[in-house]
Formats: sequence, structure tokens, C-alpha cells
Amino acid sequence: MPLESLPSDLVSFDDQDGAVHLKVDDGLYPLEAVYAAAYVFIDRCYVLLDKPASGQTRVTLSAKKGTLAGDAARELVGEFSNELLSCAWRSQIARENRATIEAVTAQALSGARGAPSLEELEAFDFSDDAFEDPLGIAMSWEEKYAKKKGDPKATAPTPNDEAATSSVTKPEAGK
Amino acid sequence: MIELRFHRELYDGKSVDEALKIFGPHASFEQAEETAHWIVRLSAADGAREKRVAGELSNYALGLTIAAQAKKLGRAEKTTATAKQEAK
Repeated sequence: MPLESLPSDLVSFDDQDGAVHLKVDDGLYPLEAVYAAAYVFIDRCYVLLDKPASGQTRVTLSAKKGTLAGDAARELVGEFSNELLSCAWRSQIARENRATIEAVTAQALSGARGAPSLEELEAFDFSDDAFEDPLGIAMSWEEKYAKKKGDPKATAPTPNDEAATSSVTKPEAGK
Repeated sequence: MIELRFHRELYDGKSVDEALKIFGPHASFEQAEETAHWIVRLSAADGAREKRVAGELSNYALGLTIAAQAKKLGRAEKTTATAKQEAK
């Protein structure tokens, strides 16, 4: 028996068993998405999966208590379809980001191994730049304020000078 | 009597067996095999109980199958990550 406002070739309602059958295309919804959606509904209803044909999975949902009526069946199958779509989308995102997740996990695991051994430190190439610094922010204090040759006025400021120029004059009390 | 057909591509055989052990005291079961399905025929004291046990059994078998699949997937991912780390 078809359910109102739902495609009859995909959804059918068995009023004798009080169960609703939903056909799922494996090309659109991977098995892991079907499993994930079924798992969400396990506590609400009885879920049975089957493969009536290759490339197709049939999901049977039946009520745990009482029997499914028309509206309740439509609501249940609608919620299941939405959950299935959500699970399929999440599964696709996970698949696309798998390489990134694995890279981050591998880095985290290698970082958790602890301090490097002397052999590893010996083999480490320190000539590599630590990071890119296009704005020159990482320039050392000596490089930045070095005394230029032939400029008698230019003197390298001390850290105290730097602090004095950047300090803010405090307002006097009572004014 | 209710017949449950668990497709081999969708259900893990060990999970179905484990579910049958759990629900053994609640109904009497008869097992059979087909090329694509594991078949379980169950009978209980009355129709309502039969229906309930059948539903709970299929949910339990599905839950165990999903857990087994997740474990398998996790193990495969762990192996891949370890292999990549070793390659570095």
C-alpha cells in the first residue's frame, strides 16, 4: 500500500504487519550511511535490512509498541530518510577529509613519542628555515638596531631606552 | 512462526549467532542457510511475544553488526596511520 505524498516505487506500507518498507539506492546512500541511520532508529522501532536486488537495500521499520498507522508511518519514514541523507553527507565529508585527518593524527602521534634521542638530534638538519617570515617579524634585536657604519649619530638603543619610549605617562593624581 | 532473513552482505554471521544466544531463553529458534541469507525461524508462546522477540533479535543482530563493522574500520584506519608514520 503506498503512503500519501511519498513515491510509491520507493516506499510502501504493509498494514497487515504494521511495517513500512523503504528502498534505498546504494549508489546514492553508502552502506555505512544506512547502518548509521538504522542505528539511530534502533531504540525507536524495529529495523530490518535486506537486499532485494543488487545495488538496492530495503529498510523495514516497524513499531515497537502498537501498530503503525498511516500518519505515523509517513512521519517515521520521513524522519528516517532525513537521517539517512544526513548520514550520507557526513560520510562523504569524512571520506573527503580522511587524508587531512590521517596527517594530523600521524603528526600528533609522532609528537607524543617524547623527546628525540641523541641519534635523532644528530641526524636533524638545522639548516632548514624554521618558518617563513616575509614581514621580518622574527628579526633579532641585534640585527634590527645594529650600529650602521659611517653614521656616528646612530647608536644601538638599549632595552631600557625602548621601554622608556613606549611607556605611557601616568596622569597625576587629583588632576 | 516468524521467519527472519538476514542478508550475508548486510549482517555479520557472528553477530547473528551472538544475538541468537542472547535471545535463546525467550523463544525457540531454528536456523537454516541459503546462498545469500542466514535464516532464523522462531516460535514463542503467542503471536505478540513472537513479534517482539523477532524485532528485538533483528535490532540486536544489526547493532552488533554495526559495532563489528566500526571496529573493523577503526582497525584498518589505525593500520594505515601506523604504516604512514613508519614510512616517514
